[in-house]
Amino acid sequence: MEPIAHEGLGRLLELENNLQTPHVVFSHSDLEESEDLESGGTIKIGKVFNLPPSPLGLDSEKAPYLQLSENIAVIDNAYSIQPKKLVEVAKHFRLEAGYSRLLYAPAVEPSQMPILAYLGVDIFDDLNVELRSSAGWVLESGEWIKQNKQIDDLFSHNREELNRWILRIRNAITNGKLRELVELTSLHNPRVSQILHHSTPLLIERGARVHSTIRSNNLSLNHPAILDFQFRLSNYEPPAKDMVLLILPCSARKPYFKSSSHKRFFNALREVDNYLALHVVSVTSPLGLVPKELEFCYPAAHYDIAVTGQWSASEVEMLRSQLNKLNINQNYSKAIVHAGSSSKIMTELIKELGIDVVNTRVEKPSSYEGLEVLQNIARMSLNDVPILNTKDRARGEAKGLAKFQYGNSSKFLINSEISGRMPYKLRCGDLAAMSSVVGGFGLTLKGGIEYSLNGGPTIIAEDFKLIGDLFAVGVKSYEGNWKIGDQVVIKQADIVTGVGIAKMMPEEMVSMKRGVAVEVRHHA
Amino acid sequence: MPEAFIPLTDFVNESKSIPRDHSLDKPVAKWTEEEVLDGEVVEAGVVILRTRGCYWSIKEGCSMCGYFNDTVPGGVSDDMLREQWKKVRPILKGKKYAKIYTSGSFTDPTEVPFDFADEVMSDMSNMGIQKVLIESLPEFVNPKNFAYSNSPKLEIAIGLESSSSVVLDKSVNKRLRWPHFVKICKLARDNGAEVKAYILLKPPYLSEKEGIQDAIQSAIDAAPHVDKISINPVNVQKNTVVEKLWFRNEWVAPWLWSVVEVLQKCEELPVRVYSDPTGGGTRRGAHNCHDCNKKILAALKNHRLGLGDLKGLHCNCKSRWEALVSQSKLRRNGSEPHGYRSGFAGSRHF
Repeated sequence: MEPIAHEGLGRLLELENNLQTPHVVFSHSDLEESEDLESGGTIKIGKVFNLPPSPLGLDSEKAPYLQLSENIAVIDNAYSIQPKKLVEVAKHFRLEAGYSRLLYAPAVEPSQMPILAYLGVDIFDDLNVELRSSAGWVLESGEWIKQNKQIDDLFSHNREELNRWILRIRNAITNGKLRELVELTSLHNPRVSQILHHSTPLLIERGARVHSTIRSNNLSLNHPAILDFQFRLSNYEPPAKDMVLLILPCSARKPYFKSSSHKRFFNALREVDNYLALHVVSVTSPLGLVPKELEFCYPAAHYDIAVTGQWSASEVEMLRSQLNKLNINQNYSKAIVHAGSSSKIMTELIKELGIDVVNTRVEKPSSYEGLEVLQNIARMSLNDVPILNTKDRARGEAKGLAKFQYGNSSKFLINSEISGRMPYKLRCGDLAAMSSVVGGFGLTLKGGIEYSLNGGPTIIAEDFKLIGDLFAVGVKSYEGNWKIGDQVVIKQADIVTGVGIAKMMPEEMVSMKRGVAVEVRHHA
Repeated sequence: MPEAFIPLTDFVNESKSIPRDHSLDKPVAKWTEEEVLDGEVVEAGVVILRTRGCYWSIKEGCSMCGYFNDTVPGGVSDDMLREQWKKVRPILKGKKYAKIYTSGSFTDPTEVPFDFADEVMSDMSNMGIQKVLIESLPEFVNPKNFAYSNSPKLEIAIGLESSSSVVLDKSVNKRLRWPHFVKICKLARDNGAEVKAYILLKPPYLSEKEGIQDAIQSAIDAAPHVDKISINPVNVQKNTVVEKLWFRNEWVAPWLWSVVEVLQKCEELPVRVYSDPTGGGTRRGAHNCHDCNKKILAALKNHRLGLGDLKGLHCNCKSRWEALVSQSKLRRNGSEPHGYRSGFAGSRHF
């Protein structure tokens, strides 16, 4: 059993016999019923495994929620359990089953398979497909339809289609697009939609951070990575006190500073005296507000959205709450809004917070005329603002980014010798440097030592010469907690020997015998 | 008792604490129905007296039984029982067969005082009633509890539910053991009473197939010890564990095809095996699809009264029932998708 890819709480495992999860078993060939009420029958997933007995006399709403045999954990009633309750149960999946058991959800609808896989279910079956087939329904991309044209053998047709559907779920995990598939199935399915809605906090807390592009839609305001970014903005501080806040529009190209519009803004602004005292924050949906230092951080550089110029009520509400997190009236002396179609809304929202705000009222912000207006207004606004020099600005930028990325463990970076400037050359002494792979400060080996001392997540590996990535078989234990995609420190015989990006959950690393545990970035 | 079962019984007990507002001088219900007496179809008078109810349901209760909803936890005085009796007498007059139910055990002297029971029995005897059916938990089938001074022929109905101890313990929550059942059947018959056994079809947690198998096996086991067997498809009564599971869609009432299947498999048994499904044809009772419920229920009634057999019944939903039964054990509970019995025609499904 080897984990190949993760998304949310779901995983793609390579099993023996070339099988992969999520996997579907077929009742006529893979499932054997029990002989009596007190045994559980068997399931064939390459090999034949015993199933735990079915839960006689138990209350499905009370823990423990799973029935366990040696190799299989069963979540009974996944098909019918209340959406909110199901998510609560999902929190317990790996606590009860561990990582070495395959999690099987019997008799669920194909339409629910993507969301259940997203929450960590490994094995499905065709029991409901069989029932639908016996009633003459045709399976098509996870949906049940009635078809005029007769199908000779509906049962095998639907089984094949189910196989394709499961393959699609697996491919979605491989490509980091399971969330998209789940959102698709949720569109016209209230149950999936409710489960998805309730699972957001759990996914933020424990979901794997795969840095795949978020192709946004109306559901993306609830995307765990988006919400996580928004929550963490309250941890953020601008580079210096009393700067002038400059709200700019986002760009299609990410990170924003690479776009032609932002290059034009920068070139226009650098001609203004004391332009370093301008703090650029981009306004966007679904992320809200992205300060310049955070443009690298996932998912600020990894999303795409249709630009309509229309802001929905929920987007406006989201912007208001993000502005509050920036603590505007304490952090800035005044604000300029130069954001095209969103200028009016942003000006109003900033006014609500009680600081001086100038709207450039330009419809095309990056046009020649627009830039001229921006230059003039910036010049006027910066007139009475204290000078901010390059060094202080860089220090402030590094501090803001470090706090945003590392939270309470960020002190060692903030106190280091900061040099360079945004975007690429900013660095914290020999501890960390900007990395687009990490999405912010990537730790060096020395940085790893400090991080570990400051409570950063640490993996204790067996004592061997670490070459290349760290595999699960070499993991002994761990300290701290992390999500897949976070930076972790590797220790061997009490010495830090590597830093890298976690590819498995903490307990998973310990229980798996195969697969990459840490993608190592720096070795000793 | 398995520990994890406690929450469900807790739930049932919670429902029971809801104050019940019943008038004590009126019976729960009374009606007449057709029954078979000595091979002949007669009209029987049926009465449900309101009493304190089943002692077991006060203590814990069975998972499918909601009859406590009709009871008065504080008990009903003798005077009030006599008032009730006055009101039911007219319906019993002129009948040869009477069924006197309480929502508990007629033979439990703490529920139905013996003196009152004795009076009622001789009253019925004097009315010309030939046979009377009463119900009892196994623990009250004791000759001293039914040693009436003058009574019609007694038929004691006992809820065996299942001959499997696993089903009794983990699904029904009934304190009964098979050897005890055999013992009390003999005791009742030795003391001049006939015994009717109730056997459940598809108690909670069981799948359709397990339910069918368990009912058939229980009937085969019980047949030598009883005089007739009634197959009771489990129905969804208010404030019960079954209702909770049904609301959660972890269990649904059995199909009428399953009832037919059990009865056909029991045809060769030496005793009458029949079924009169409570709530038959409704969502809370045994049902098939909308098209055939009435037809099957009519056939079951004819079968019960000895006027017909169960051969030649057909409906499109039968193949769906067969598909479900063949996989039902693999589903690991008693559920099926919403709308399956009607082939998912019409309503919303996901």
